[in-house]
Amino acid sequence: MSAVLRAFALLVALLLLVAACEAEEDPDEVAEEPEPEEPEEEEEPEEEEPEEEEEPDEEEPEEIVREEADLVIWADDTRTPALEPFAEDFGDEEGVEVAVQEVPFDEIDERVIDSAPAGEGPDIFIGAHDWLGRLVDAGVVTSIDVSGIEDELVDVSVEAFTFDGAQYGLPYATENTGLIRNTELVPDAPETWDEVVEVGTQLQDDGEVELPLVLPTEPADPYHNYPFVTAYDGYVFGQEEDGTYDPTDLGIDSEGTIAAGEAMQGWIEDDFISADVSYDLMIDQFSSADAAFALTGPWALPDFDDADVEYEVDPFPEIEGGTPQPFVGVQGFMVSAFAESELLAETFLVDYMATQEAQLEMFDADPRPPAMESAFEEVADDPNIEGFGEAGIEGQPMPAIPEMDSVWEAWTDGYELIYEGEDPEEAFGTAAEQIRELIGE
Amino acid sequence: MSQAAGGSGPGPSGPGPLGPPSQESLGARFQAQRGWWSRFGDSALGVVVKLAALAAFIALALAMIVRMVSLGAPMWAPALTGLATLGIVWVYLGRGKLPLKYLVPGLAFLVLFQLFPFGYTIYIAFTNYSIANNLSYEQSIERGIAESMQTPEDAPEFSVTPMIEPDDLEQGEIALWMVDEEDDEEFLGTADGLQPAEEVDPVVEDGEVVEAEGFERASLGDAQDRLEDFEELRIPLDPDDEETGEVRLVTLSRASVSEPTRQFDEERDALVQIDLDTGEEEAVYPADHDRGFFIDPDTGQRIAGVPGWRTWIGADNWVRAFTSETIRGPFLQVLVWTYIFAGASTLLTFALGLGLAITFNESRIKGRKLWRALLIIPYALPTFLTALIWRGMMNRSFGVLNDILPGQIPWLVDPTWAQFSVILVNLWFGFPYMFLITFGALQSIPADLYEAAKVDGAGPVGRLRRITLPLLLVTTAPVLLATFAFNFNNFNAIFLVTGGNPPISGAATPVGHTDILISYTYRIAFGAGGGDYGLASVVALVTFAMVAIISVFAFRYIRPLEEVYQ
Repeated sequence: MSAVLRAFALLVALLLLVAACEAEEDPDEVAEEPEPEEPEEEEEPEEEEPEEEEEPDEEEPEEIVREEADLVIWADDTRTPALEPFAEDFGDEEGVEVAVQEVPFDEIDERVIDSAPAGEGPDIFIGAHDWLGRLVDAGVVTSIDVSGIEDELVDVSVEAFTFDGAQYGLPYATENTGLIRNTELVPDAPETWDEVVEVGTQLQDDGEVELPLVLPTEPADPYHNYPFVTAYDGYVFGQEEDGTYDPTDLGIDSEGTIAAGEAMQGWIEDDFISADVSYDLMIDQFSSADAAFALTGPWALPDFDDADVEYEVDPFPEIEGGTPQPFVGVQGFMVSAFAESELLAETFLVDYMATQEAQLEMFDADPRPPAMESAFEEVADDPNIEGFGEAGIEGQPMPAIPEMDSVWEAWTDGYELIYEGEDPEEAFGTAAEQIRELIGE
Repeated sequence: MSQAAGGSGPGPSGPGPLGPPSQESLGARFQAQRGWWSRFGDSALGVVVKLAALAAFIALALAMIVRMVSLGAPMWAPALTGLATLGIVWVYLGRGKLPLKYLVPGLAFLVLFQLFPFGYTIYIAFTNYSIANNLSYEQSIERGIAESMQTPEDAPEFSVTPMIEPDDLEQGEIALWMVDEEDDEEFLGTADGLQPAEEVDPVVEDGEVVEAEGFERASLGDAQDRLEDFEELRIPLDPDDEETGEVRLVTLSRASVSEPTRQFDEERDALVQIDLDTGEEEAVYPADHDRGFFIDPDTGQRIAGVPGWRTWIGADNWVRAFTSETIRGPFLQVLVWTYIFAGASTLLTFALGLGLAITFNESRIKGRKLWRALLIIPYALPTFLTALIWRGMMNRSFGVLNDILPGQIPWLVDPTWAQFSVILVNLWFGFPYMFLITFGALQSIPADLYEAAKVDGAGPVGRLRRITLPLLLVTTAPVLLATFAFNFNNFNAIFLVTGGNPPISGAATPVGHTDILISYTYRIAFGAGGGDYGLASVVALVTFAMVAIISVFAFRYIRPLEEVYQ
């Protein structure tokens, strides 16, 4: 739509130009005397013309429009630079024009849904597997044939990109949260959660740290909290035997989920965690050694590395006998259903991106464990990758069913209320009702 | 100047009101300039520029029409664009119609940026447009078929090399050199079928087939130019037996057998599920144009894997907006808060802006210009930046405000405090504007009125109430009204500072204590439940109606004010 609007704006600007040239020709006056009217004023619109066209993209996020190229890829800021060399190689070798366009990660799905049917979307875009439900529902993503390389990919990643029996993308990285420990403050990995609490609280009492554990809580973040939920036997959607999620079995008001809410409420009361930590504050606190532990994922590591803080990634220790299972997300490339050439898109993905070299290059840009086995082995001796890998072994794939869209906001609100002291049973009860209502509609 | 004295006729706008003497010299300058301007217009160059601009305009319009058609827009769209273009060319080509020549660009903007979005919103409000109903009917059918591709279990797979007739790269026949790695067999595949390698005498160089049967291995660039042909190439495994299936390219280096299991039957207006082995119909899914889905008659539900399409659903969204518990429940609370937020924001910014304006209007204050410049700063900084800074400063545990102030004030987490906080932040955003407006308006109040009041014994409060405010309101009342309407829809102030939080406990749908109608609309459209644009349009229109009604009444109310002044 915005491309059309832009063209319209150009048309109108041109009209103004015509008007400017035209005005002085008006016959009524011209006949008698050579001085009709309208001076300066019309020059202004004329000058507006270039402004209208050049509108810079940063200012007006609405203006992301498909670039003119044979193959257009949308990726976020961290991965665009890593993709560009491959796109260029592919373009040179195949004699086609390839463009990599930067789009904020959390906007890619909405934008594809909006612009693809109008022919203004990308051919390939980077995304998370849990978008699939929505994207398939909207009919903007097409299934691709990865049977030739399936064996080279980690099983869970292929499964994650399978929806309703069809394979919808080329997975390239998996991700999950883990427990990150400041090794200067806590040299040895705690074996149980009680130990985490004990060691952390001791440091806090000694004035070494402000908070024992930081995780994003402002706004509340059900994704980061999920290991606690599973440790207390809570769940979001019940799983069938084959691992698929059952949208009719909502677990937000289950005993375990509520117990996890109670535990977190207790930790806030004890000052073990704080309800006021935004993602940026979490990075700050852990980077400046004001927190002993951080609960987050591999995406935060570059920031910790920049800050020169000594850390290690541990799998989650058991909490009161329960094993914390983080959500496992899979990142991958998807092909738009309205791609100009699906053939070209799939050729690029299967022949260029599904290679060890490409996967390692992407890993360097953004340290999430690669989904290709050979590439994963290459980096597996990195202790951070090992730590997240171990934490993720027990993980649950994030539900990709469209019903999950109805969950996040209500669940977040539930946590917000619990953090401020509302009874967890009531808060999650309300959230569950809201979600059931939304799914039912 | 001498030209101006030549006595030009009145312009089409007629003789203007007699201005103060100082404007005469300005008018004379205008007239002097008309000289070169009109000479330019009459000159050959002027005509050329004009025609060139018109030609460029027509070319652009044509390009747009071509694009519309190529994108498959409904026929009325290019037709309308064409008509509008013709009309515009007619206006500008001939002589005369001068007023129209000036009005057309403005009208075009009005249509494009006001009427079109408004009309489109109304239209959307009567459709089921949402994430699940995102496509057009034709696109839905296309996707439904395209996503039903199936590869039979024991079908062969090939790694392939594209080939083209070397003497006619653009139009010549195309083929594939196909290697079945499992059975270690090689073929030349064309639209007529497969020929085993032994029959076609391939020329092999460096272990790769480069020539066979008049075809040559295509450079990737050449294959690229014929991409569409390669995409459409179907190679029957056995031309005599249709049921063995056709091979098609998966990527430029791989091909396999795959066929759609769904077909569209126009007569029955339904998708038909086909058993590829027997060719028989397995199921028929009729299109339901009231819901925008293909329906499984057994369950009455949409079939999975086929996206829905946008369709006209009449007043359904309106009925839902006014009856659904999830929407109606918090609506009243949100509405009341929206009025409080917009009203308080307007009054407080006005009060603070006016107070500062009166202060700095006082000649006794030193460095007034500097102070005035500093006061504009909040207005000059981008909202989304300062809003985030405020959010950080108001953090309960880590914010700078609570570092300075005693106690832990729950700025953004306690319902009442959060409401107070967004109004406070919005005051910071809004007062410089009010300061500018009132400062200007103050200058227009004659100083002798104040002197007279002083003589009559009016104190500062009396002068403010009896002179400043009444005279100020004449000029600023419309601005106050506009500010109210703006704040009624001030999405940024809410979304960036609190995001609508803290949540309302026990609400029927996720909603927060600081949500105003527009941020609530955003939640419906993009938040929980995911993308119901039709319903969101209804809420947006209701919001618009409220602002419109308030505006109409308010204008009625302020009109007498203006008359008083006159």
